[in-house]
Amino acid sequence: MDIQSCVNIQTEWDIVAARQLGRNVAKELGFGVVDQARITTAISELARNIFIYAHKGRVCIEKMNDKGHAGLRIIAIDSGPGINDIRLAMEDGYSTSGGLGAGLPGVKRLMDEFQIVSSPGKGTEITAIKWIR
Amino acid sequence: MNIKIDLFENDRVIEVFVHGEIDAYTAPELRDILFPLSKKDEVQMVVDLTNVNYMDSTGLGVFVGIFKNIRAQSGELRLMGLSDRLKRLFEITGLADIMDINSPIEGEVE
Amino acid sequence: MPFREAMEAKYRDILAKYIEEQKESTLYLAQKFSRKSIENQVTPEEIISLHKMILQEMYPEMPTYVTHSFDLLLEIMLGYGFAYREHQSLRHQQKELRSEIEIAANVQHTLLDTEIPVVEGLDIGAISVPARLMNGDYYNFVQDENQCISIAIADVIGKGIPAALCMSMIKYAMDSLPEHRNEPSILLENLNHIVEQNVDPSMFVTMFHGIYNYEQHLFSYASAGHEPGFFYDGKKKEFTEITARGLMLGIDKKTKYTQYEKKIEPGDMIILLSDGVTECRTSEGFVEKDTLLTYIDKYLHLSAQEIVNRIYKDLEQIQNFQLRDDFTLIILKRSV
Repeated sequence: MDIQSCVNIQTEWDIVAARQLGRNVAKELGFGVVDQARITTAISELARNIFIYAHKGRVCIEKMNDKGHAGLRIIAIDSGPGINDIRLAMEDGYSTSGGLGAGLPGVKRLMDEFQIVSSPGKGTEITAIKWIR
Repeated sequence: MNIKIDLFENDRVIEVFVHGEIDAYTAPELRDILFPLSKKDEVQMVVDLTNVNYMDSTGLGVFVGIFKNIRAQSGELRLMGLSDRLKRLFEITGLADIMDINSPIEGEVE
Repeated sequence: MPFREAMEAKYRDILAKYIEEQKESTLYLAQKFSRKSIENQVTPEEIISLHKMILQEMYPEMPTYVTHSFDLLLEIMLGYGFAYREHQSLRHQQKELRSEIEIAANVQHTLLDTEIPVVEGLDIGAISVPARLMNGDYYNFVQDENQCISIAIADVIGKGIPAALCMSMIKYAMDSLPEHRNEPSILLENLNHIVEQNVDPSMFVTMFHGIYNYEQHLFSYASAGHEPGFFYDGKKKEFTEITARGLMLGIDKKTKYTQYEKKIEPGDMIILLSDGVTECRTSEGFVEKDTLLTYIDKYLHLSAQEIVNRIYKDLEQIQNFQLRDDFTLIILKRSV
């Protein structure tokens, strides 16, 4: 049921490619304009995190179907430095990448489901899902 | 409420010029700049406070911290250009008795 | 979602009305609409999307460049929506923190509570008000069986929670040194050791300690870098600063303190304070020592408690009700 497409993140241009991929899939699935923009912003934030902190990784987009309920899954994987204190990283106002609203708690709020696994020195894997309303 | 800190470093001699107010909002900036310097070996730090028109007890705390660090590393700290109001703060707290405050510069005519 | 549908209908209505005629009354409706939608957590990007949708309905042949421009605007406003949601969440957290601090402040209040002794021939008044929720100032009275009242007033450098935590420690240190309470200089020397060893090196405490013997009306005192108070001479009607030199607590282990003594005559007063009193700032500058003394002079005829209350009210007023530092004032008045 899941069709996965991925974009490798290495340069800033790859962030744009990931956004484009996400928006296309969201459109195909029938998400409204606002949700399309939310999904794209979430992808953008996650890809940017990889670009800035891990330097290398990938963002994958999956179509989902749960008993006729369609959704989109974002998976962001990197093998960067990882996150020492996830609880702290999930706190509002913590993000150091600059700018109010950036960071993981923002992504969590834009999506319906959010999961993070990270170990220092090994990398981070973030999964986020948005369901069609 | 603003502060400007100018630094001139020449080996162990560090000259610091502070402009503005030292209070709870600006003291952290002063601390962040001066603390690492005060931990170096045998520094000779001179802080010119001529252009500081206000300092509260938070600012005093910063200078005490620096003083302790410098003393631990056998260095010297001198504060100069203190207004009467600032001087009074150091006198009341007894710090004027242990710190070098507004002492005339060598060779200067008093 | 009935709310969303109602919102759509309402917005359609307002927009149509405004396009027809640009009246202030419609703009007022728009303002009420935005208040309502904020209350219901509608984000900016949703409003843009709604606007675009309704416009398309009203004008099916709307040029495509207008449609595209709204898509761009939506993308930009999404960033604001992002920030807005964080703001909401931080506001919620702030509320939680505030209530936590309020509880802590209550605990502190109970911990540091002290009763003002009532003795024949001596009228005592005291007030202590924190600039924020928690107090970094502290005062304490203890009355003993030797006709003596121990008076301590202290100020931790810094404000808020760290200062308050430190102050609680000082109180317990003092409680554990009852045998030294009759010798201000020795008490300060002992406290200095405790503060020096136990408190963060960037934290310092100033303290004035005095013993008032209400049989002989003799006041012995010592100061650890504390803001000097005043003696009021009832006969000469004069204030003099209490000079007592001594280093703040917590700086040098070996510090010694000098003890002073003063005979208090009928009509005399002892005024003790924290630097929050003399560091009061108004738009015109500092509250000078003389201003403070004028105030005290003005209320001389009142009871000690009444004097400190009135002075606090006056200083609060000239500072526009914004205290910059914790404020503590104690007055001891020997009855005529």
